[in-house]
Formats: sequence, C-alpha cells, structure tokens
Amino acid sequence: MQANEWSLIIFTTVMQMAVGSFVILGGVHFFATRRYGDQAADALSDRALLAIGPVVILAMLVTFLHLGNPLNAPQAISNLGSSWLSREVALAVVFTIGGAIFALMQWRKISTLTVRSTVGLVVAAIGLLLVWAMAQVYLLPTVPAWNSPATIVTFFITTLLLGSLAVGSAFVITYQYLRSKGTLPNTDTQFDILSTTLRWIVLISLVLLGIQFVVIPLYLANLAEQGSEAALASISLILDEGGALFALRLILLFVGAGIFSIFMYRTATSENRTHITGYLAFSAFAFVLISEILGRFLFYESMMRIGL
Amino acid sequence: MANKLGFYFNATVCTGCKACQVACKDKSDLPVGVNWRRVAEYTGGEWVTNPDGTCEQNVFAYYTSIACNHCTNPICVEVCPTQAMHQREDGIVMVEESKCIGCRYCEWACPYGAPQFNEEVGVMTKCNFCHDYLDEGKSPACVAACPSRALFFGEIDELRAEHGEIAEIAPLPPADITEPNLVIQPHHNAKSIGSTSGKLINPEEV
Repeated sequence: MQANEWSLIIFTTVMQMAVGSFVILGGVHFFATRRYGDQAADALSDRALLAIGPVVILAMLVTFLHLGNPLNAPQAISNLGSSWLSREVALAVVFTIGGAIFALMQWRKISTLTVRSTVGLVVAAIGLLLVWAMAQVYLLPTVPAWNSPATIVTFFITTLLLGSLAVGSAFVITYQYLRSKGTLPNTDTQFDILSTTLRWIVLISLVLLGIQFVVIPLYLANLAEQGSEAALASISLILDEGGALFALRLILLFVGAGIFSIFMYRTATSENRTHITGYLAFSAFAFVLISEILGRFLFYESMMRIGL
Repeated sequence: MANKLGFYFNATVCTGCKACQVACKDKSDLPVGVNWRRVAEYTGGEWVTNPDGTCEQNVFAYYTSIACNHCTNPICVEVCPTQAMHQREDGIVMVEESKCIGCRYCEWACPYGAPQFNEEVGVMTKCNFCHDYLDEGKSPACVAACPSRALFFGEIDELRAEHGEIAEIAPLPPADITEPNLVIQPHHNAKSIGSTSGKLINPEEV
C-alpha cells in the first residue's frame, strides 16, 4: 500500500520550512539586536519575516486537497485527547494565527521590543511543537517504515536546514535589493549582519547535514533488522524502486548543504562578491529544497502497513 | 464494557467461496473497490526431494475471512481527528459520516484494512456489524450467507469460552496492537504470524 500524496508532501515540507525560518530568523534577530540594536536588526529580517506568511498560507490551503470531504474540515480538531493528527491541525492553525499577529506587530512596530520578542518566542515554541506533532502523526505501530525515531529527527532536520537556507537566501536578496535601491541604512553594519548570519547558517547546515548522513544508514539498518514483510518491502521501495531518486536526494543534499555552503562561507565576508554569495545561497536553498521534497516523497512511498 | 460483540471464524471448514464477502457487498451496496469483508488466501509450499530421488510437494493453502474486528483497543478510533470513528457501548466501531473529513488516516492505521474510503461520497466506510439486522434479531449478512457455517458472531466472552482465544495467524497482524474481538479456529496448516513460509496470494482482493 502506498500513499502517494502530493498535498501531504508539500504541506509537511513547506510548513516545516516555515517553522524553521521563523525560528532561525528569531535567533538571528536576537543576536543582531544585542550587537547592533533593534533598528539595524530589523532592516533585513522584517522583509524575510513577511515572506513566511504566504508560504504558510499556501501550506495550509494545500491540506484541503488531501481531504475527501473538505466541508467537514473544522471537525479535524475534535479529537485532541487522543489523535496526533488533531493536535497537528490545531497547532498548525495556532502557529499560523500567532505568526500573523507577530508579523503584524513587528511590521507596524506595535508595542515594545520586549513584548514583541515574547510573542515571537511563544510562536516559535508553538512552531517547534507543531513539528513534533507532525512527526508523532507518522509514528503508527502498524507502519514500520514510519514508526522510528528517525521520523522525528528527520522532520527537525528538514525544519532547521530548510529554515536556515531560506533565511540565508532571503537575507542576500533583501540586502542586494535594498542596496540597489539605495535605501539600506548603514551599509557596513548591514553587510556585517549579512555575512555573520550567512556564516552561522553554513555552520548549522553542515552540522545538520552530518546528522542526516548518520541517521539515514542507521534508520535503514534498523528497518532491515526488524525483518518483517512490511519493513523489508519499505526498504525495497526506497532502495530499489526509489533508488535513483534516493541517490539524487543524497547528492543534492550533499552539494547544496555541503559544497555550496562551504563556498558561501568563503565568499560571505567579501563585500564585492555579494552577487556570487547570492547565487550560492540561492542554489544551496534550491538544491536542499528539491532534496527534501524527494526525501518526503520517498517517505510516503515507503509506506507499507503490517497485516492486511 | 462487557458483552462486546465479536466474530468467530472456523478456518477448518472454510472453502474460500467468498459468499460472506459478496453478501456483505450486496447488503450494504458497496461500490467497486470497497469490501468490508474480505477473504485472504494464504498459501505456500515447495518440492522436497526424497533420498530415493523422487519428489514430493508440501503445498498448503487456507482462507481467512476478515472484516472489522470491532477491537477492544481500536486504533482507528484513537487516531481519527474528528471523532467520526467511534465505538458504541456494544463494541461496534462505526463511522459518523457527517463528521468524517475523508483524510484516510484510519486507513493507514488499521492493520486489518477495515476502514475503507468511498470515493463517491468522500468519506470513510466500514463494517457496521449489520447493526440494523441485529436490531431485527437477524444475523449479520456475512454470517447468514456462509454455506460452510464457518462464520459466527456473538458476545466475545461466550465465543472465547466456547472456541478459545486465538486471534492471530498468518497473514493477520499481531493481536496485541488493537486487541481484536475475533476468535479463530485455525486451519491444520495455519502458520504463525510473521511466518515467511507462505504468502498472501490475493493482495488485490484484500
């Protein structure tokens, strides 16, 4: 049995990217504020923050395509007591609304920095809880390929990796755009924020890449060890039928999060090479995004249930 | 909750005629692809060479008629985000179609393939134990249709007292996941769950 569900692939990947972007952006903003003050920190991050909005709304809308009876959709939060799917839906709605409120406050500079930071922190925590709930949905005792700690770890890697690289791309694009328009306040400071952010994003990406490349073989070995008919069929779906896609996913991940990142680490500090940094940041993001979508496709493809 | 309903299936007399499956389909007017009761065909065997050079086969085959087992611990009810999937006092697990969003999550979770998606109406459907027949004092359609008297229903405690407690044989899943209200009289060739000596040969039917 296979669950080839494009709406779920898009929803889970894109929503995780949105949560990751929100969390990483929060971290970047926190450190930039401490060093340069909140006005300087806002210049690049406010636009990046607003970009998350449409992404989340797209992800939420796509989920309706998954439903056989979308008119009943509000019923989906009726079983919070025992259904992780219910909890996932509820947390996704709360994250969307909370994120919108935070973005509005940040955009219009409503209330004080402390209040805004607190709201942002709460929304980020809800986002991370959402990713946790998303993973729990798939920990079904009847589906060996999903019922693994690797599902949780991989969902969080997707979250932080795509989030980091999306923020990196958004920062470079915003920096170049504002500089070309001549509206960038204090270019030196902004470049400092940009290059420091990019260098940290590279380091985070390399660590996550390392973890992912340890988790994948451990996961496959563990699945093989279980030896049940469903587990072995899942491995075959990943390595045999999906073998080419699986290889492509690993290569794209390695090139995007590894090689492009390392080059970006070198070019990030040189102001007259920002356009190259931009290409690298965007390529790294695009490669990893495609890799993650392929990975999620294989995740759903590998669904084999025990029993009948 | 005592007095839960369950099915008893006697594999030693089942001929695999699938009258139960057809009666179920007819009674509930199920569309193509939706079969609340199904008959799994499990077969295996090989050729064995004797010391004198002759060959013998040890082929086996047996049938397992399976619908919803109206489990004590129904995973479909647990995971359903809407509470459309619910369990009545008498143990019957049913879908409240006016609440179902058709997300098919119960279909992923149930190891017996009991909840099935009806494309025409966009919601999940499943065996309802012919509760309307029960109210009229009749047997469920599948039980009434069986020409071999391989299929019975009743209060699970009584079924277990009379026929034992076996609820897992290949190709069924382990019973401890959902605690099915099912009693099986195994075929003399029955293999234990997880056995690799045979295989399900009609996967497209179940």
